[in-house]
Amino acid sequence: MRGPIVLAFLVITFGGAPVSAHAFLQHADPGAGATLRAPPARVALSFSEKLEPVFSGVVVTDAFGHNVEAGTVMIGGNAMMAPLLPLPPGSYRVTWHAVSVDTHRTEGAYSFRVKP
Amino acid sequence: MIGIHQRWATPRFSLPALALPCAAAFVPAPAAAHGVIGDRFFPATISTDDPFAADELALPTITSFDHETDIDFDYSKSIVRGFAIEVGIGHVDAKPPGEPRERGFGNLSISPSLEVYRNTKHEFIFTTGIELEVGGTGNRAVAERTSTFTPTIKFGKGLGDLPDSMKYLRPLAVTGTVGYSIPTAGNETKSIEWGGAIEYSLLYLQNNVRDQGFSNFVAHVTPVVEFSVSSRTRVGEGGTTGTINPGLIWSGQYVQLAAEAVVPVNKESGHGIGFIAQLHFYIDDIFPHSLGRPIFGGKK
Repeated sequence: MRGPIVLAFLVITFGGAPVSAHAFLQHADPGAGATLRAPPARVALSFSEKLEPVFSGVVVTDAFGHNVEAGTVMIGGNAMMAPLLPLPPGSYRVTWHAVSVDTHRTEGAYSFRVKP
Repeated sequence: MIGIHQRWATPRFSLPALALPCAAAFVPAPAAAHGVIGDRFFPATISTDDPFAADELALPTITSFDHETDIDFDYSKSIVRGFAIEVGIGHVDAKPPGEPRERGFGNLSISPSLEVYRNTKHEFIFTTGIELEVGGTGNRAVAERTSTFTPTIKFGKGLGDLPDSMKYLRPLAVTGTVGYSIPTAGNETKSIEWGGAIEYSLLYLQNNVRDQGFSNFVAHVTPVVEFSVSSRTRVGEGGTTGTINPGLIWSGQYVQLAAEAVVPVNKESGHGIGFIAQLHFYIDDIFPHSLGRPIFGGKK
């Protein structure tokens, strides 16, 4: 029994390619559910894998669904950053999608608040 | 989709015969995502089948319960996106009180699964499949001589669409499976095989509801309660037996570790508390450009 298993793993190993995986969100600033006293200047997200910039992105919207990014979202390595307009008090929604360099897609969304 | 089944393995199954053509078939196609639908990541459940048709390897799954220890191997290969075939083998070592010890490989199982419906917004997936236990392929001492077909439906549902007032329930997800087990020998009893899992994703809690400041390791832990039940359809032939399995699943980037207690639901299901543990490999993440892709179809 051990022989076939070892052989199968050798076949798998020699047939393989450099590993990469789903890009899972590892850190967000501001974080999910955060309540902030001062409006953030940007939303910064970091992921577990390198991203494909063309196929990844983040959108930040206010309670009315209006975009509040101040410019182009920057994506490089395993991070993305969205500069924000000056945010009045209220609730905001961060919606992101990430495609890792091996084409696996992940997505997510969360909210944060800016206190009056 | 890999879980343990009520089937035993065979020594006749040739791993190289499977692995070589699979490894050789490096047809470019999108990587099949294991367990991801919408914002939700479903870890692979270990006591019941989950509803994802993906490239996965469970090696080994070790179960010790009611005077029996099983070591199982399961490999699932996606053929086209959303359709996979799983093969399973395993070794049984049983020593019931007052009876001689019996051990050997059980029957080979072959289980094609087809993802029929996905709804990313509502984190829902519905899958159909059929499990074939090939009778006579295992050791006579521990394996049935007749084959069994089990047409099965499976589903998964994340609760991420709950309203804000229930936001701490959003990390919850459920999976379920119901199958009708039909032995090919007419005199054997048919049964309904059903089970499922209730899981609370700390990753979902951390990333989608409220940042708890979890470390990266803790955030990838999912507390889970699985249940696996068999109900005989003919009166007077065993009734319902099964187990409830509470435990933890840790999902890394490429592998998953899981351990659960095995608690019988009634006297007929066994005695004492056992355990089940599994080392699981996400083949689609380990070999995203080769073995982890569907053999046919799709585009890169």
